[in-house]
Amino acid sequence: MTRNNTGQRRVIIITLGIAGIWAATTLKLNPSDLLTSNTAIIQDFFSRALSPALDYESQVPSGTDPLLVKALGAAWQTILFAAAATGLSLIGGLVFGFLGSSSLMIGSFRGGTKYVSVFLYATVRLLMTLIRSIHELLWAVLFLAAFGISELAAVLALALPCTGILAKIFSELIDETPRSAAHAIQGIGGSTIQVYFFVLIPQAIPDLLAYGFYRFECLLRSSAVLGFFGYPTLGFYIAASFENLNYGEVWSYLYTLFLMVAIVELWSSQLRAALKG
Amino acid sequence: MKEQLKMLHKRRSKNIFVRLSLVIMVLLIGYTWISGDFLNTSNSFAQRAENIERFLGELQPYELRSGTFSIHSYLSWAKAIMIEKGFQAMHLTLAISVAAIVLSGIWGNLLAITAAQNFTSGFNRDDSRLSSILLTSPTRLLLIFLRAIPEYVWAFLFLSLLGPSAWPLVLALALHNCGIIGKLSAEVIEDLPEQPQISLSSIGASRLQIMLAAVLPVALPRFLLFFFYRWETCLREATVLGMLGIVSLGFWIQDARARNFYDEMVFLILLGAFLVIIGDVISTLVRAYVRRIS
Repeated sequence: MTRNNTGQRRVIIITLGIAGIWAATTLKLNPSDLLTSNTAIIQDFFSRALSPALDYESQVPSGTDPLLVKALGAAWQTILFAAAATGLSLIGGLVFGFLGSSSLMIGSFRGGTKYVSVFLYATVRLLMTLIRSIHELLWAVLFLAAFGISELAAVLALALPCTGILAKIFSELIDETPRSAAHAIQGIGGSTIQVYFFVLIPQAIPDLLAYGFYRFECLLRSSAVLGFFGYPTLGFYIAASFENLNYGEVWSYLYTLFLMVAIVELWSSQLRAALKG
Repeated sequence: MKEQLKMLHKRRSKNIFVRLSLVIMVLLIGYTWISGDFLNTSNSFAQRAENIERFLGELQPYELRSGTFSIHSYLSWAKAIMIEKGFQAMHLTLAISVAAIVLSGIWGNLLAITAAQNFTSGFNRDDSRLSSILLTSPTRLLLIFLRAIPEYVWAFLFLSLLGPSAWPLVLALALHNCGIIGKLSAEVIEDLPEQPQISLSSIGASRLQIMLAAVLPVALPRFLLFFFYRWETCLREATVLGMLGIVSLGFWIQDARARNFYDEMVFLILLGAFLVIIGDVISTLVRAYVRRIS
């Protein structure tokens, strides 16, 4: 490390500080506002963090499932939405990752007419950038307007941006996997598609798997949030309990979400370690 | 050819845990599509088609529907929206993302220090002291909790608790990203070469001194990479959090939806996408620069 580099780093950090101050003044963020707001409610809410509700805090019709069963059910719904979207976006990611891979479409493994594949490559790249730049909740809003409330629309909303991200990652993975086996297959007359499915994908599978799991983790959180738009995932129950001021119930649902995400995170980090070793 | 296939076959992963994970995932995805309601459309196809047709019909700006098509009229329509709310909303969205990432950069990296096993055990890995157990595990648990709760949920809770200002959105983004930055940075601190730390510790340097002399200078470029990587996501989320009622882009998107102005809604959504793409490009450039100078 040279003296020169320390100077450049200092410039970056000072710029960040200035940017922070600019943002705080633009938004009129005043730390004292945090202290003077309704402290009673805040205390009420956070004190329940240590005693989440184990049963309903308000009257429910008899025959309703116990709170914890309901929380687990909501978690299961959250997992279902996330898993369905993961499946869709894995397929989409593989297809569009292929079409967006520079080595397959314009590089050494290209098959077919040049202009067609270059055009396809550029279109797919642009399309993938666009669909991943629109947040999953904005897709949900769009689909709500177009289709009305529908479970398929929710899954599509989750899957679209994820497909964009996976396509980008997959095409990068494909472009970076070692080439010797691919060249061998191509040398004996394998087509581009054969090279992709029988050589490049199998070689990239560990990375694909690790990344796919990581996306599942992210989709799980997004799927929980979809509840705020009326789908039966965890967010729905968090919003409902909070609006009824049943703070204990809110914490029960938050802890359910936390446990679910933490377990999947542990699983996926173990998987990454196993795939590396 | 056969030899090569055999070799590839032999090289495949044989780890039971990996295979089990794969099988569980495939079964789960298969189950959702076979038994879930995702393919079951509750209202009739005709009604749905009607819905879509109406939606597509309203995508053309209302004021321009009767007139003849001209690029100029579209541009002036877009310009009017931009002046009325577009520019200001983009400005606020950007400010929210910057304020949040600066906060979480500071707090995330501070928490990363106590979440790093080697720091809490006094840079001596073999000796896991009580302080390490008392500090590291709770900090890690806190970080997992912070990142497990999505930004949107934090923002929803804080908006009601703190009342309408920019704070709830900034705090929501900051908390979630704090959990992520804290985890990533703690891993960096733990993975640094231990030799300099051990030699400093053997000549009696305190933990703080080791931190400032041997850890921070080496880890700083990585911290900056995470910072900009997360800022990208912050910007993406900041557009959406406005839907809860603070005047960022999301607010106007929700507003246009509530009034059934689908033309305006789609325009604003694309504006958000544009902002995200710009943020993406800036972050990629800055990260390339950070890599070059480190």
